[in-house]
Amino acid sequence: MAIGVKILKRPEREVSYVRATLKGMALTFKHMFEKKVTMQYPEEKSTGSDHGMGQWTISPRWRGTHRMLTDEQGRSKCVACGLCPQICPANCIKLVPGEDERGDRYPLIYEIDEFRCVFCGYCQEVCPEEAIHVGVHYENAEYSRDRFVYDLERLSSQTHAVSTLWDPTDPKGE
Amino acid sequence: MTEELVTVTIDGLQVSVPKGTTIIEAAKQAGILVPHYCYHPSLPSPAVCRMCLVEVEKAPKLMPACVTAVAEGQVVRVDSEKAKKAREGVLELLLINHPLDCPICDQAGECELQDYVFQEGRAGTRYSEYAKRFSPVEDFGPDVLYVPNRCILCTRCVRFMEDVAEDPVLNVSDRGDRAYIGISSEQLLDHPWAGNVVDLCPVGSLISKDFLHKARAWDLDKTASVCPGCTQGCNITIDTRDDIVVRLRPRPNLEVNRHFMCDYGRMNYRWLNRGDRIEAPLVRDGGHHVATDWDTALDRLGQLIRGTSGSAVILATGRASTESLGLVRRMLDRISVTAVVQVPSGEEAPLAAVPNLALRAERTPNVTGAELVGYGSDWTAGLLELASAGLVIVLDAELSQSDLDFIAQSPASVVLLGTIFPEELRNADLVLPITTMAEENGSYVNRDRRIQRYNQAKSQPGMARPAWWVAGEAIAGPGPSASAPATAAEAFELLGERWPVFAATSYDDMGFTGRVLMEPAIASGGSKSARVGTL
Repeated sequence: MAIGVKILKRPEREVSYVRATLKGMALTFKHMFEKKVTMQYPEEKSTGSDHGMGQWTISPRWRGTHRMLTDEQGRSKCVACGLCPQICPANCIKLVPGEDERGDRYPLIYEIDEFRCVFCGYCQEVCPEEAIHVGVHYENAEYSRDRFVYDLERLSSQTHAVSTLWDPTDPKGE
Repeated sequence: MTEELVTVTIDGLQVSVPKGTTIIEAAKQAGILVPHYCYHPSLPSPAVCRMCLVEVEKAPKLMPACVTAVAEGQVVRVDSEKAKKAREGVLELLLINHPLDCPICDQAGECELQDYVFQEGRAGTRYSEYAKRFSPVEDFGPDVLYVPNRCILCTRCVRFMEDVAEDPVLNVSDRGDRAYIGISSEQLLDHPWAGNVVDLCPVGSLISKDFLHKARAWDLDKTASVCPGCTQGCNITIDTRDDIVVRLRPRPNLEVNRHFMCDYGRMNYRWLNRGDRIEAPLVRDGGHHVATDWDTALDRLGQLIRGTSGSAVILATGRASTESLGLVRRMLDRISVTAVVQVPSGEEAPLAAVPNLALRAERTPNVTGAELVGYGSDWTAGLLELASAGLVIVLDAELSQSDLDFIAQSPASVVLLGTIFPEELRNADLVLPITTMAEENGSYVNRDRRIQRYNQAKSQPGMARPAWWVAGEAIAGPGPSASAPATAAEAFELLGERWPVFAATSYDDMGFTGRVLMEPAIASGGSKSARVGTL
């Protein structure tokens, strides 16, 4: 069956590629002189506050991998009360309480399985000593899976910022 | 009872109680909890805490519910504004010096101060500018630590030592807001029943060293049980955390142990957590044992029993349930049997002010139960029978070297129904894993013939089964059979068929506080009882 083909007659200037190419190139060249929007991660990173184009802020309420805060002597503030493993919906916190040389209660073992964690932030919210916090942090790559079980030493040596969980000026989120 | 009853109205609920009952007890019967600290049903009431103040109509001021007796037609208000305000005031004063250390306090979660403050205390403090009083922790005795900061001076511990244990080593020292619980300078809190002060303490002031930091109250699973420590048969609660027994606590039973248990019983739980348990049935094949399944093991048990020429000996532990002892005995009904139960002994330690309550010399729970199902307590008699026996069944008894020598010299085939497999019993023909009292349901008969149930508190290791299940299956024989007991209650019914003393009761009858087996001495044979002590 023969196929009927209808050839449209259009003006040369409308079908020429030259015009379209020039138009596209004009846009391309225009961007060369404009401010850059691409951030060169990981060479460039967020510094936590907005420095204009190319930088962005993580919300202070971001809930990332954990950090254990320490007191002036560098000891963890945790008293092993057992509330965080109790509240944890993912059951990712392992805690074994013990007694230190001063007779104070402290965690013998404190481990968080960051793979299992759902980053709800309940552990920070429930902590009566303001010891465990979720961090404003997102770079967690490791070479092996077992490195994602953070022990007390690792949690205490983290230095990244910690989440505020809620906006201090608007605690109820209204 | 022909006691005169009086009817009172408490928070709009009418309740009839015997004359002379205190308001707090009457309220308890109406299902109303009057908050209290110093009051305890097993201790004299001094009415010092002022927490139980209630409004009594026509009384000029609030009355302490723990010492005020009810009167006919009395109208008591526990939830009135006036009473609530009084309690709020008491709580506020208690909290002036009470530290905010609930996160590290062992009592948190089962603390009466915490409960009542949450329930009706003030939201904030009005004393924030004053520093809290601080005193260091004191060591009171073998298992008790005193944290003076947390003390609310209810004096329950002082009264327990003075009026119940009658060993007054504790006192209230100093006065006013400086008062604390003092201890005698010459003595420690080392009375055999001293551990009760930890349970009595409504706050975390007296704490157990053994339980310190082990678990939070909300982690614990609680199971009603019976103490396996001695023939007294104190009712207890087994507290487990992640399938590990972490402590035993007394469970009130006014007929047996009131609200108390001794320190020996309290500490006697580590054997329940042993890790070196038998987890599969083992049959001897030549020189060594091979793990097998229950069908094969039960077949082998049947063969051994049928193939026995001559007599059999049962060496049983007194920690075995009545069901286990009875059904193991029944399993050998066609053979002449000498059954003995092991009764370790220790020193008797009575609790002075409670009649018929002591840590008994016979340190195993089920001596009476064993006697009722035909076991003797003359261990040597059992050992001597071994020389001529064709079969010996060791029911989880702890064998000494001389016991093992007797077994080694005996011509009998050896069947071990045990929780652990002693190295020296390598010549056993059959080893069947059984559960401990914390891993099964069962019952013990205490020295006053009270039969009491205990319940499973933790899971059994591997393929271990209750000994009554093993014996029940062996009696029923191979193949699917309706007569093998699937539950402890069914096993108990089987006991009733053979020993009429059990026929009149059932698991439902026993409930949580047990039941006294009424029939006097029964003819069961084989009992060579020579027990001392009075009932």
